[in-house]
Amino acid sequence: MTRIAVLSSEVADQIAAGEVVERPASAVKELVENALDAGASSIDIVVEDGGRTLIRVSDNGAGMDPEDARLALSRHATSKIRSITDLVGVGSFGFRGEALPAICSVSRLQLLTAAEDGTAVLVRAEGGHVVGEESAARQRGTTVTVGQLFYNTPARRKFLRSARAEWRAIAETLVTVALVRRDLHLTATHDGRKALALAPSRSLRERIAAIWGNEYAQRFVDVDAVLGPIRVRGLVERPADVGSASRRIALLINGRPVRDTGCVRAAESAYRTTLAPGLRPSLFLEVTLPGDAVDVNVHPAKAEVRFHDRWSVERAIEFAVRRALGSPSAAAAFGGIRRAIDWPLQSDVSIDRPPLPSDLAAGPLFQCVVPGTASATAPTTDDPAALPSLRQLRRTYIVYESDDGVILIDQHSAHERILYERFAREIESGSATSQRLLLPETVHLSADESEAMEAAADPLRRLGFEIEAFGGSSVIVHAVPYPHRRFDALRCLRETLASLAGDRVPTAHARHERLLATVACKAAIKAGDLLSEAEMTTLVRGLASTSLPAHDVHGRSTIVRLGWDELDRRFGRR
Amino acid sequence: MRLSIAREKLQEGLSAVASAVPGKTTLPVLGNLLLETTERGLKLSATDLDVAVSTEVAADVETAGALTLPARKITEIARELPAPSVKISSSDQRAVIECGRSKFKLLGMAKDEFPAFPAVAYDRNLRVKSGDLQRLISHTVFAVSTEESRPILNGVLWEIHPSQLLMVATNGHRLARMQVGGQYGSDDVSVIIPPRALEQVRRLFPADEELEIGMSENHISFRSPLTTVISRVIEGPYPNYEQVIPLDNDKTAVIDRAALTSALRRMAIVASDQTHRVRLSFNAALVKFSVQTPDVGEAQDELPVHFSGDPLEIGFNGNYLLEILRYMPTDDVRLTLKGPERAATISPEGWDGGADYLCLLMPLRLVD
Repeated sequence: MTRIAVLSSEVADQIAAGEVVERPASAVKELVENALDAGASSIDIVVEDGGRTLIRVSDNGAGMDPEDARLALSRHATSKIRSITDLVGVGSFGFRGEALPAICSVSRLQLLTAAEDGTAVLVRAEGGHVVGEESAARQRGTTVTVGQLFYNTPARRKFLRSARAEWRAIAETLVTVALVRRDLHLTATHDGRKALALAPSRSLRERIAAIWGNEYAQRFVDVDAVLGPIRVRGLVERPADVGSASRRIALLINGRPVRDTGCVRAAESAYRTTLAPGLRPSLFLEVTLPGDAVDVNVHPAKAEVRFHDRWSVERAIEFAVRRALGSPSAAAAFGGIRRAIDWPLQSDVSIDRPPLPSDLAAGPLFQCVVPGTASATAPTTDDPAALPSLRQLRRTYIVYESDDGVILIDQHSAHERILYERFAREIESGSATSQRLLLPETVHLSADESEAMEAAADPLRRLGFEIEAFGGSSVIVHAVPYPHRRFDALRCLRETLASLAGDRVPTAHARHERLLATVACKAAIKAGDLLSEAEMTTLVRGLASTSLPAHDVHGRSTIVRLGWDELDRRFGRR
Repeated sequence: MRLSIAREKLQEGLSAVASAVPGKTTLPVLGNLLLETTERGLKLSATDLDVAVSTEVAADVETAGALTLPARKITEIARELPAPSVKISSSDQRAVIECGRSKFKLLGMAKDEFPAFPAVAYDRNLRVKSGDLQRLISHTVFAVSTEESRPILNGVLWEIHPSQLLMVATNGHRLARMQVGGQYGSDDVSVIIPPRALEQVRRLFPADEELEIGMSENHISFRSPLTTVISRVIEGPYPNYEQVIPLDNDKTAVIDRAALTSALRRMAIVASDQTHRVRLSFNAALVKFSVQTPDVGEAQDELPVHFSGDPLEIGFNGNYLLEILRYMPTDDVRLTLKGPERAATISPEGWDGGADYLCLLMPLRLVD
């Protein structure tokens, strides 16, 4: 008796369907993408019982004529590519010709489609076989009704989760689509309740505001940068807000939502030194790159892509995010209203966003949208006369008045940030200065500290420390850096080694950064140091010229803005 | 307590002690001045627990007594008094100040709350001319350290030898040393004194006065017939400064002080406002100055110089050098050098001021 038999095409189809359609959400995703590929500008989705009993996707796209409608239900039938060469730089969502037949093979499906207003065709299929066809009437477009998904694959049906969990997955899919196609009119109904009603939006922020509310949308900083052929746009969470709401990530490569840990890691590494350990930011990033630089035909659900030059993509993402975080609008705000920090040294250039129409559709879960953020202006250092008078509070904070509020700066954090960037630059360019000591100082170290010292010997030398081993665990310091007048070099060295002692930082890069951050922290002026007006001026100017002014090297805020509107509100003036 | 005093005398006494009152203090009585009657008049005292100052001014005492009054208020009142004669009386912790038609009642604190001055012995028979002391102080105190990690360097070393007085201050990057000759007792004494105390000494005693020096284990006192300054001394051995004064510097430059100062000031405009690094390049007839600061720019300058030795290039903190030049008493200064990593000395050229003055400066170099 033969043990091996060729599977019937029906069974093979059902197995293949499992790759594309694993749960109702993936069916929704495929159908919505088909609608988008058909040029739809409006899509309505109806789901019942988490998609188990009904999924209906209606669009106003191109529709099909009766012949195409029948063909569409057979495997590898697609209108999107014709030959294998079309795969390079493919621009549509679907192209494998798998989605509709796959769904069809595991459900009772009705395809109602009209290429012209009025004359439509209704095709019925069950388990992959066409069981009926009749003419009908419909406006141009297509409605796909999927009933009793997985009715013929009990194994798959058994593994479906609760209706609510399946609906959540569907909603997530729809949100991703909504973020990708912001020009889309999208509604969704679950068990008769309207769950999503999105009007076309002009920007990503607007769309996010429409989905999760305006306040949520205001916690993001705009990203837009071009590096070589790669453009990175989107929104990233303000470091001060990271961790205070659940994390959301959306990554679009050439308009296609994908999962890519490398890209996410690149964006996260742009946050380095601005976040407390363990916190991970929300990110909405769109990467645009030439079609031939990316291969999307890697995964049946197309959730993964392959880059021809991954490094340059990651570098572009990191660069773009870092630049966005360096803008003053990345600073923490007092209270809930977030707007850009108004640097005292800034030029008057500002970019105003047009206000949104107020008649946007708003479902019960989704708030109406209010005009977006204020101008983000780059700090410049050319006009000293523009610096308002600075005051020190509690020998800890520097405060000044700006056009739209009171700006508070933590002197230690600010100085830490300035020194960190300066040390990093000096180490890189080898331009650190070293003050020779008249009276070389002997420093006694613990075993851990000597170990830390040996590990950091080279960067310490490049910072300007000239340290000579002196038997046992003692060292003699002959020369020290001279970063500022109040710098206490030996104390800085001792404290740095003490806090690095016993540190187990895996990579050389991370260790290097940790050393710089520690030295910067120990070298910076402390809370409690009385500053002269000139010193405060230098500090604020220095901070404005750093790349990440709003955050110190530990991820704490350096700048807090108390807006006039907030102040007015607290005094009951508005 | 009941006394009458001339307004000028009161103001004189107050201005002498008021600067010893600490600006901020956790001990409220330190914000007050102690007023005590003596045989000669009124004695005023102030302290911040590290440095104590007292002075006596002439007054007609009717009844003896003492109390403390808020330093700020009594000083402001004395400044605004309308008539030349002032009457001060006190009962309990309240003082009444009358002058012309003005009358003030000022709330004070009991005398007992004011910290007692530490006892010092004047048994070494040490006498020093105030003028010499002033000269030593004003030429060295600028070089002390403000770093907290080496408290020893926060003080000025004062050595008294039978035939000379010497003061040294350093912050580890630069050092100033001055010595004057004379006859000073029979012992070698060495103390480390906080600059604030020396500032009071320099300010309070007229140059021609002879001061008596008193000592205890932890304190030093400077006393004239009317005024006393007592200070805590900083404990610990002062670093061996003699060892770091280079004796083998084989390159010598003599430069016009004013010209050098103005060249350095020009360089300072472009020099890094943090490190103030200026590069000096010496050869037989010229010293060339140059600074290069990323983000700012560059500057060059040159001066004629009398230089002997091999050409040398060396970097300094321009601010340190400018500060040293400010205290140099002659038109020309003499620099001696050894190498780009070795200490330079700066001293007044052709000075006959009856004192010996030397400053050291460690170079600032670029890490390669």
